Amino acid sequence: MAQTATSRMVGAANSFLATLDQKQRQRLLFAFDDEKQRARWSNLPVAMVPRSGLGMGELNASQRSAAMALVASALSKTGFEKVQQIMDGDETLKRNEGGNPMFGKDLYFISILGTPSEREPWMLQFGGHHLALNITISGDRGVLTPTLTGAQPSLYTINGKTVRPLGRESDKAVALLNALDDGQKKRAILSYRLADLVLGPGQDGKTIAPEGLKAPAMNERQRAMLLDLISEWSGIIHESAAAARMAELKADINETWFAWSGPINVTPGTNIAAYYRVQGPHLVIEYAPQRMGGDPAMHVHTMYRDPTNDYGGKLTAK
Amino acid sequence: MKSGPIMAAIFLLTGYPACAHRLDEYLQGALISIEKNRVHVEITLTPGIAVYRYVLAGIDTDADGVISQAEQRAYAGRVLRDAYLAIDGHPLTPRMVSARFPTIEDMKEGIGQIKIEFDAGLPREGQHRRLTFENHHQDRIAAYQVNCLVPRDPDIRVIAQNRNYSQSVYELDYSQAGVASEPLAKGMLGAAALLLFARVLWIWRKRDYRVAAASRAFR
Repeated sequence: MAQTATSRMVGAANSFLATLDQKQRQRLLFAFDDEKQRARWSNLPVAMVPRSGLGMGELNASQRSAAMALVASALSKTGFEKVQQIMDGDETLKRNEGGNPMFGKDLYFISILGTPSEREPWMLQFGGHHLALNITISGDRGVLTPTLTGAQPSLYTINGKTVRPLGRESDKAVALLNALDDGQKKRAILSYRLADLVLGPGQDGKTIAPEGLKAPAMNERQRAMLLDLISEWSGIIHESAAAARMAELKADINETWFAWSGPINVTPGTNIAAYYRVQGPHLVIEYAPQRMGGDPAMHVHTMYRDPTNDYGGKLTAK
Repeated sequence: MKSGPIMAAIFLLTGYPACAHRLDEYLQGALISIEKNRVHVEITLTPGIAVYRYVLAGIDTDADGVISQAEQRAYAGRVLRDAYLAIDGHPLTPRMVSARFPTIEDMKEGIGQIKIEFDAGLPREGQHRRLTFENHHQDRIAAYQVNCLVPRDPDIRVIAQNRNYSQSVYELDYSQAGVASEPLAKGMLGAAALLLFARVLWIWRKRDYRVAAASRAFR
């Protein structure tokens, strides 16, 4: 029988657990209904907002490899690449900051809520600076919301290769904006400045009134571009869950909005310095460049939510 | 604002690099909830690391390094006084619901969030309404954000949100079903009162006329 994504994840989770001693297992595992642990994520470095679970830096090589294999089993190939690039970016930041110990790949934490199971609900969390994956599994269903991705620097070079962890999120959004006609742009571009995420960490359970350009006012090509943009977040999770999620979001397309605030010009190959938001009945995506002592385009936070199903609330409701 | 000297100063002050912190802005995000008879506002205020001393001086007014309950109440009251809330052009009187303050240590690191909630009663009538919210707290360093939450009451529908560039002034147009239309209801009530008054006056005068006529007849 073919292995399902859930069975792969459960296998990877059990393999990781098998590498740990009793004390480590105790620190890794939380009750499924531990609301505090569920909400213990942030865009900030762990030195500023401590995480629970096991840090990568405290694991030996085989434990660390098993932990990353578990994360990989929950994600698509491109989703896992994005996670690795975010972590590599933090390592680059550490180097750029003279080896500052508050950054780097060692400072990402993994935790499991509940017991890994092919039937019963459980949750995998993985995150640190600019990363918070909250993956709820229930049977063959998987939910990735709420998830925060970020990048600083959002463009760097590693082994001679230029990397932009959130480059497609930037390129696809500006391409969509440029595909709009003047009337559409007038509706999509908000007349006010947005300094940060509206529904970032600590804002669980809230839904703001949508604004901008509604998808029915777009043509077929523009709607396809909007869905392609959305796929940068919906496609982080493993392929079968991503497909189910995209089907849901496609069905919502006529109730989905696109809003933009900030500069509309961007140098090719670099990131936008503008905020944008995609919002539908089951979706909130925010992309927010950060004005924190440098070029906002080089420091980005993004948020991905399903206001009706964050932490897989619908899958686990009794 | 030049960030280089600020970043260097922040590193010296905290031991943390400036790039991870909110810097020279005082982020103030407001979320507004609308019900038929009530508006609720939650403001989250996050002073950046380069302005926290200035903000803290306005909170810890006796500079003893502790934000006392009295100082919390006083500062929350100041935030409330710097805000303006009106419905259909009529100012509302907000009531403080709660105020939560972070530790000074968190504020020093640019991650301390002050959360202030207030609400105000709304007259129920009026099918088409305009709520105005203004925030002018610390406007020289503020980065304002304001949004309306999707109303839980399905009778209430957000029509439009308008803001100035800085988001210090916000207008929310919304409609609500299941309530009397205010101008119509008031107009109808007014007309009914006028008719009633005219009728009473007419009956009274008629009665006076009859009484006068009767008294004349008996003279």
